[in-house]
Parts: sequence; structure tokens; C-alpha cells
Amino acid sequence: MSRPAAVQFTAGELALVRRLQALYPDKRAALLPVLQLVQDTFGYISLEAEEYVAGLFDLPPAHVHEVVTFYTLFFQEPKGRHVVSVCHNLTCHLEGAPTVLAHLRMRLGVDVGATTADGRVTLLAVECLCACEMAPMLQVDDRYEGNLTPAKIDRILEGLE
Amino acid sequence: MPKLTIDGREVEVPAGTNLIEAARRLGIEVPYYCYHPGLSIAGQCRLCMVDVGNSPRPQIACNTLAADGMVVRTETPKVLETRQSVMEFHLINHPLDCPVCDQAGECWLQIYYMKHGLYEPRMVDEKVHKPKAVPLGPHVILDAERCILCSRCVRFCDEITGTGELGIFQRGDHSEIGLFPGKELANPYSANVVDICPVGALTDRDFRFAVRVWYLETAKSVCPGCSRGCNIEVHYNLRRPHHNQGHRVARLKPRENPEVNQWWICDAGRYGGKFVDDASRLLFPTRGRENAAREVGWDEMVPLVAARLRDYRPDEIGVLASPRMANEDLFVLKRLVEHLGIANVDFRVPPGRPGDEDRILIKADKNPNTRGAELIGLAPRAGGLDARGMLRAARERRLKGLWVFHHDLLASAWPGSEIREALRALDWFIFQGSNANGISPDADVLLPSATWVEREGTFTNFEGRVQRFWKAVEPPGASLSDWEILARIGDALGLGAVPGRAEDSFKSLAAGVPAFAGLSYRELGDFGKEAATA
Repeated sequence: MSRPAAVQFTAGELALVRRLQALYPDKRAALLPVLQLVQDTFGYISLEAEEYVAGLFDLPPAHVHEVVTFYTLFFQEPKGRHVVSVCHNLTCHLEGAPTVLAHLRMRLGVDVGATTADGRVTLLAVECLCACEMAPMLQVDDRYEGNLTPAKIDRILEGLE
Repeated sequence: MPKLTIDGREVEVPAGTNLIEAARRLGIEVPYYCYHPGLSIAGQCRLCMVDVGNSPRPQIACNTLAADGMVVRTETPKVLETRQSVMEFHLINHPLDCPVCDQAGECWLQIYYMKHGLYEPRMVDEKVHKPKAVPLGPHVILDAERCILCSRCVRFCDEITGTGELGIFQRGDHSEIGLFPGKELANPYSANVVDICPVGALTDRDFRFAVRVWYLETAKSVCPGCSRGCNIEVHYNLRRPHHNQGHRVARLKPRENPEVNQWWICDAGRYGGKFVDDASRLLFPTRGRENAAREVGWDEMVPLVAARLRDYRPDEIGVLASPRMANEDLFVLKRLVEHLGIANVDFRVPPGRPGDEDRILIKADKNPNTRGAELIGLAPRAGGLDARGMLRAARERRLKGLWVFHHDLLASAWPGSEIREALRALDWFIFQGSNANGISPDADVLLPSATWVEREGTFTNFEGRVQRFWKAVEPPGASLSDWEILARIGDALGLGAVPGRAEDSFKSLAAGVPAFAGLSYRELGDFGKEAATA
């Protein structure tokens, strides 16, 4: 998940970039999948990475920065090994999202948007994740967890390396 | 060509014309922020809504092309209500800091609020706050709270300069324009984004807080910064002389000329007029050097110069004209040297550093009238010396008197020691120009010239286009237009038929030099005409 410092794709990753760019009449359209590749490869999208990607697309770096800052799922700072996203939209709110968030803040010792000092967990509050039937719910990495209680949240946290 | 009806009136427009431009032809003003005729269509501001045919809701006029038989209405109740709502949206997070905003008085939020807004404000929430007074580069400063995100500046940097410095970051009502972190807006045309910014988001660091725009007056002019001859407006302030440290010229702005500079000027030209109000201006005719220098009136100076020109043999005199002089000046000078039989005449001096040039506007030749000097004929006449030859002849005591216009020879490509030695060996050295420079202290006679904003005249650009500039402010001290100084000296030497106005000189130029045949001030108009340069 995290390959350090110098932003440089391998030959295989570069081949993937070319393949993605060739899918669209304007290669700029491949910017999103390539930025996802950057985030998957390096853990987050640094300014250096934005400039690197701008080079791959012959774009001014400002235009890559536009895309990265538009999407909240692009991380501009190193994120934790796990990302816990708590829904605080209507249904989850009515079912107790504020309690869920308060419990997580207490257990992790960080505020929303921040990462624990040991780099284990990044805590986020997000809008509806389309799982109202299991409200209150959260997403941990690629997995949904619903019908949350303080005990269940503690169990979920214990499972995170 | 499509024929359409706008507000009940028929108009025929070229294919590809959008509804804003089609309406403009009928004198109908459709309001807009993001549209600019020199940039791509963004459809960002939603203010230019008009009713088209039977369409159930208004369309944006900027991105709707005129079509045959189209029926457009620009003032229906629905259109007016839409405009009002759009204005309310644009102003939701606006700080309303007009009293401290430099754009006040020329702000399209103010203008359109009064024309199309006038709603009762309903905004009760805290406004979104954004960065204020952020310098983007040497010339431009950003207030992101005032920005309406029209994206003109972004498109300018993408499409005109191709430098792409600016972007719109974040999203929703947190969106703001800015630079990639750590970069700056420093391309050679950067300040044009201030001109095209319809609001107070991008302002000019040089002009900011100098003078309120409603105190400014405008004169049409031409940029003297290079041989392109971009059309400009001189904005000057006479009504509040205590503002802006007494500088009369407050700013230079581009003036649209599709044949020359479209809507743009470069930063070097925009900020290149500072010499006008500079302390280095020469104000009075002066005799003698250093401590012996004495200011005299023109009534004493003119006979003195005339006597020098009469008392020396023509081959002992050199005249170094300048491609910064107007056609009107150069033509009187040409008549004068012909009248006196002086063959040592030139105007070319190579610059110390080669000028920069690009494919947009900037030309390497930093003089506004090189082509004019060539066409009028200020090159060495038969048997005469060129500029460097004159300096050599001076060092060898063959040339006794030299009359230099404007040039700072010490900023030329020639060795300074060579120039100094030449100037010191002369019996007399007359310097005529608007500002003191490297060589002016060596002159024993100084003749103070008016700058281009203090007089009228014409320059001929590198393409041979002759363009007028108009007088904005009075010449300071006793300075005079170059043609007028030359006319007075010519009169004293029996030149005859000396001009009383710049236009008189231009008339005799048109009559006397074939390339200018048929041209007149009236014919040149606001945008100039090509000389017959074939």
C-alpha cells in the first residue's frame, strides 16, 4: 500500500497508464483512474505525485490539482493503514451516528479527518453510503459494517492491524 | 448567413455567431461574466440566459449559436427573474467589501446588481470564507472571496499564454481559484487576468489603492514598448493630484484592436510607462554641464542650437535620431538635415542585450517606430557616417558636434569607453530626450522632450501599420514635443513651412514620403492603417 518517497511508476505501471490513456479520445479522461493508481501505489497523492502525473498527461500541474482537490476520496496527506468512514447522513444520524462518531473519537484519540499517531486508522465522516438498512453504519477500508453499537465498534477496531 | 429575430427585430449574422454577439449587433446588451470573445465558451456564470423560441426554459446566450428563423427574447419576465436569481447566487458568499475594494467603480457585480439584481437579500447564514490579499505573482493579487468562478483567468492562462498556472480547486461553495502550491503567476502577460476579471478578485498590485477609478480619465494611445504597437488606453488622474504620489499616469490598459493586439498587452508594456512621471525627467532647456549647468528659456536656446548647426561644416556634425521618436518628429528632422546638408544621420543603435520575443505580441525590437524611421529615411545619406562611424569620427576629431535624440548609448552593445571618449572629444554635444540617462550628463546642451502621452503623433509598427496616439496630460516644465523643438530650430535656420501642429507635420509627411501617401489623421482613425510599404 505504501511505497515511499520518490514518485515514479514501474515499467508495468507505466504500461497500464498508457493503456488507460488509450481508452479515451482525449487521454486527459484517464486522469481519474491514473490518480487512483497513484493513491493505491503510494498511499496518497502528494504534490510531487500531482506534478509527476501532470507530466504523464502533458498537463499543467494546476489542472491535476483541480481534480485531486475536487474529490474527497483522494488523500492529499498520508492516510492511516485503515480508513474508517462513518456515515453521518440523515438515516444514520437519526439512528445514532453522533454517538458512533463520539465513541470512535474517544477510542482512537483523534478528531474527524485525522490519523492516529501510530498511523493505524484515519477517521472520516462521510455522506450517505447507500446502506440505510443497516444504519448507523460505517465503512472500514472496502467493507461495510452496520447496526453499530459501542461494543461492535470496539470489536471492529480490535481487528485492525 | 442565419437571419433571426431578437426582441422583435430581425438581424442577419455570420454563421457561428452566438446570441450575445448577435444581440450586440442590434444594440441589445445581454449581461454576462464568464463569456469573453477572445476565450473559449465556459457557460459558467449562467447570467446570459435568454428565451429561445418555445423552449420551456431560458438558454445561455453565449453557447447558443444563431440559427435561421430563431426567435430570441432577452427581456421576458422569466429571463429577468432568472437573471435576478443568478445574481443572488453569485453574491451569496460575496463579502460586500466595496468600500475597500479596488474594483469598485468598474465592477460588474456592482453594475449588474443595479441593473439585474435589486433583490431583497435572504442570506442569513455565515458566509464561506476564503483567502484574501494573496499575491499570485509580481503583478496580480487575489481575493478569493470576491471571485465568482467565471474561469476567464484560468482560460486565459490555458488558451492565450499556454502556461496553465491557474486552476479552480475544491468544490461547491468552497471552490476557489489559485495556483499549484509553490508556483507563481509570472508569465509575460499575467496582468491581463486583472483586465478580464469582471469583479474584484484579481487586482493589479501596481495600481491597487493608488487612485479610485472614478477619478481617472482616458486617452487612446499606442504602447511605445516595442515594435508591435499594441493599442492601449492611458488612464490618468488629474482630479486628485495628491493621490498616487502625484503620478499623473495611473495605469495603461489594453485597447481592443483585432488587427494588432486583440484584447491584450504584455506586462512589460503595461508597466513600461513609469518614466513619464519619473524624477529623471528633463524639464528645462539647459546649457553647460554639472555645476555650470544653467536652465535657460527656449528663446535663448533655439538661437544657440541654430548657431552651432550653422557655424560648423555639415560633415563636422552628426545627428543620431531615435526610433522612439514619432513619424511627425522624424519628418521635421529629415527636412532639417537635408536643408543643412548633413549626411551623418542615423537612428540605429544595437541594444546592449538582445530583446526578448515571442509568438504572441512581444517583439525583439523595443522601439515603437523603427519602421517609420526606415520609411522616412533617417539612415546615413550619401557619403555620410552611420552611428558607430560618427563616434569613431568624434574620437578622431573629424566630427565636432553631435546631436543625439533619446538614445542611451551606454546601454548599447558598444563599449562604454569608446562612447565616453567620443563624447568628450566633441566641441559640442546636444542631448534631446524626455529623461536623463547614461550619456545626458555629458551633454552641454539638454533639450527636454515631451513623452508620448503628453502630445499627439503616430508610430509605424513593424508591419508598417501607422497608428495614432493622443495627448493625455501636459508636458512638464518647458518640455516640448520633439517635432516642435525641431520646428523652432528649423525656423531659426530658414527651413520654411514649419508645422504648427503635429498634424501639419503628418500632412507634409504624407505629401513628401510615398509610403505615407494618402494617409491622414482622419484616415488613420482609432485603429491605424497600413503604410504602402511594398
